[in-house]
Amino acid sequence: MAGMSSEQIRRLFAQEAEIRLGQLDQLLLQLEQTGGDDTLVRSIFREIHTLKGSAAVAGFDEVSGVAHHLEELVDDVRSGRGSITAEVIDALLRGNDRLRAAISKARTGIASQDTPAAGPNAVNGKHASQPAGSRSPADLVTSGPLDVAPSQTKSPATSRHSGDRAGVIMVPVERLEELTRLAGETASAHLRVGLMLKDRFNLDPATCTEFNELSRSVNDLQDRAMRTQMVPVATITDKLHRALRDLSRTQGKDIRWQAEGADTELDRGVLNQLSDSLLHVVRNAVDHGIETPSEREAVGKPRQATVRIHAMQLGSEVIIAVTDDGRGIDVDSVRQQAARHGIDTDAMTDDELLELIFRPGLSTTQFVTDVSGRGVGLDVVRTNVEAAHGRVEIHSELGVGTELRIIVPITVAVLRCLLVEAGGQYFALPFHRVLLSQAHDPGKLAQAEGRPVVWVDTRPVPVQSLAETLGVTGGAAPSGPVVVLSDTSRTHAFGVDRLIGQRDVVIKALNPLLPRLPAVAGASVEPDGSVLLVLDPPGLIQRARSASRGTGMTAPAHSPTTHRRSILVVDDALTIRELQRSILERAGFDVRVATDGNHALSHLAELPSDLVLTDIEMPNMDGFALTQAIRAHPTLANIPVLILSSRSSEADRQRGLDVGADGYITKSGFDEASLLTAVNRLLGTNA
Amino acid sequence: MTGMQALLLPVGADLYALPVDWVLEVVAAPTVTPLATAPAAVLGLFNLRGQIVPLLETAALLGIGTVEASAYAVVVNSAHGPVGLAASGFPQQTVLDASIGPSELPGTTGLYQLGQRVAACLDPESLLTHERIAGYLPRSERTAAKAD
Repeated sequence: MAGMSSEQIRRLFAQEAEIRLGQLDQLLLQLEQTGGDDTLVRSIFREIHTLKGSAAVAGFDEVSGVAHHLEELVDDVRSGRGSITAEVIDALLRGNDRLRAAISKARTGIASQDTPAAGPNAVNGKHASQPAGSRSPADLVTSGPLDVAPSQTKSPATSRHSGDRAGVIMVPVERLEELTRLAGETASAHLRVGLMLKDRFNLDPATCTEFNELSRSVNDLQDRAMRTQMVPVATITDKLHRALRDLSRTQGKDIRWQAEGADTELDRGVLNQLSDSLLHVVRNAVDHGIETPSEREAVGKPRQATVRIHAMQLGSEVIIAVTDDGRGIDVDSVRQQAARHGIDTDAMTDDELLELIFRPGLSTTQFVTDVSGRGVGLDVVRTNVEAAHGRVEIHSELGVGTELRIIVPITVAVLRCLLVEAGGQYFALPFHRVLLSQAHDPGKLAQAEGRPVVWVDTRPVPVQSLAETLGVTGGAAPSGPVVVLSDTSRTHAFGVDRLIGQRDVVIKALNPLLPRLPAVAGASVEPDGSVLLVLDPPGLIQRARSASRGTGMTAPAHSPTTHRRSILVVDDALTIRELQRSILERAGFDVRVATDGNHALSHLAELPSDLVLTDIEMPNMDGFALTQAIRAHPTLANIPVLILSSRSSEADRQRGLDVGADGYITKSGFDEASLLTAVNRLLGTNA
Repeated sequence: MTGMQALLLPVGADLYALPVDWVLEVVAAPTVTPLATAPAAVLGLFNLRGQIVPLLETAALLGIGTVEASAYAVVVNSAHGPVGLAASGFPQQTVLDASIGPSELPGTTGLYQLGQRVAACLDPESLLTHERIAGYLPRSERTAAKAD
């Protein structure tokens, strides 16, 4: 340390403090939620104590003073003189905010001194920073948060390795973006070289070892470059937790916060784009969704409500669901409001009515969160999510709760696509949605339920010309290849004129003045300067389905030609539920879903299923109790029950089998094949 | 409002004036990629130095049907980024004198005399809206358009 100037020391302290403050916030929220044990209190004390010491060394007297005050508060708790009340946590969190502000102020001081001339002056030591700091209180607002943002996103990830920051360096984001962009350009140049080898030298690049080696490294390079900008969802969950906590305190609500799948990673840019929206959604849940403890008690709910964020990766998308067990959205009230806005709601289903709350006019009346002080409506949430190439879904049950899901691609930088030609125009289809492509084979074509189908493995899949679906003139030649696309629950085949090849596409959003086109994900500029349309398979499938429905040729896709086996999926986690549903539906099962044991039993009472697939930990009635109830039921007792749980202990497995489950698989070892094997085994169907 | 600099857009047999403040540039014969599933007012997308710009059918925005030719794209600086307005002939620059009367079409702000010809002045702010692009015209306008 001998050679360090006090300026360097202060700079170092500012860096350290960032991480410690993030850690402190996390620990304090944890303390409130768990009631706290000695270890936790000691950790908090240690953080504050270290911060105090470092601040004093760096010459930040104000910071050190605040830290000292906080230290005393925690010491009272530690020595048993005081207890952990919400007020104490309030005081500690506020103190933490004051520390952050004081440090930010001091940092602004550093920043404003960060000119070549400032070097020698700064050596004066502890007092050097004070005039600078007090000189620019206005800067706090502007440069403070901006300064903090990049390192803040890193702090939880770093602090997870508790203080071991060796090997971690801060790199300006622009450099990483430049790296990703260059890797993308390298890849497309590489593709052009491949084309040239073929055209000019009549050399098939696939047979050229050197070219293949280069392909591999270019792909790896692109992949790694993209990964440098991936951050876990955990980088924003603390902020959300804190907002939830503060708001529930002011509104006198008792809410438990739960974060699952926070280690799910996605593009930093995408996450930043979503950060405000998620904050809004969480505030909205507290403000409009959750009832007061007495209201909850009156309707027989536990006094403590739960708001949960659950992130999960599904293919190349990340689903972030915010669920509350509050009052749910009253569809009738939405209907009335819509009517007041002159919207014809007569023919609308409940789901369509719920969709309305994303409309600007409607969302700013009842669903705006005034508490955020910004008057942001849910329409803004949708706009922001769509700007990140994502979509928003909402599900709500009156009296039970609301779940809002934000579904976004992991990264929007580069999308691997299959290029096809249809109706004389090129289209890009995102690769992760392409199940397979196959050459035209008249033997595989058939007719079912009033529309043409194509055999894909052992399943008939509806097929339609891509050009026709898009309304492009000059439909596909009937002898063209077929591309099979799938989204989370449906599969559809599209006839194209020809397959062009695979391409990494830098996708750009269309001008927001244009109406939302569900079948179009965006566009890209081709190496030759032309514009390439990137299609959105889920929207495309939807379009193809409604088109064929419109002609009145078709019956519902799942009408039972033979007896289809039905499965009831029970899980309170939407993402798990949807994942299971998509896997099972794709395998040809009829799937119903339930959110807890009670819900499942009422479903089964209406119509029994051939198999029940259930989670263990769920509200109201857990998976063990559900299994027991099924076994004890006179008519349901023979339904096979398969438990899928994150509990992996032998004791839990044994308990599951003891209460009557027929199988037990753990979520950690869960994949499509193992689930289907287990299900098929229990149903006696062939895999 | 005298002496306003404007660009004259031939749209079919009509002439429309666009205040130059709105105009970024004029592109001749842009290579347009049709935008599948888009409403009729969207002719497609073109590449303006790496930026993807929609080309809109001026006549359709005004609710007077469609005009085949889109020989030129007049790039307008809209609040949401650049947008191309199709013109069927080369847009010449001119200076508008006082208005000779109100115009009827929505998205226009008055009629101007240019020698023997008459041009309606376009108001990009009210012309370039989601509703106009999506083709949701109020019923009164729709019938008016049909009567033309």
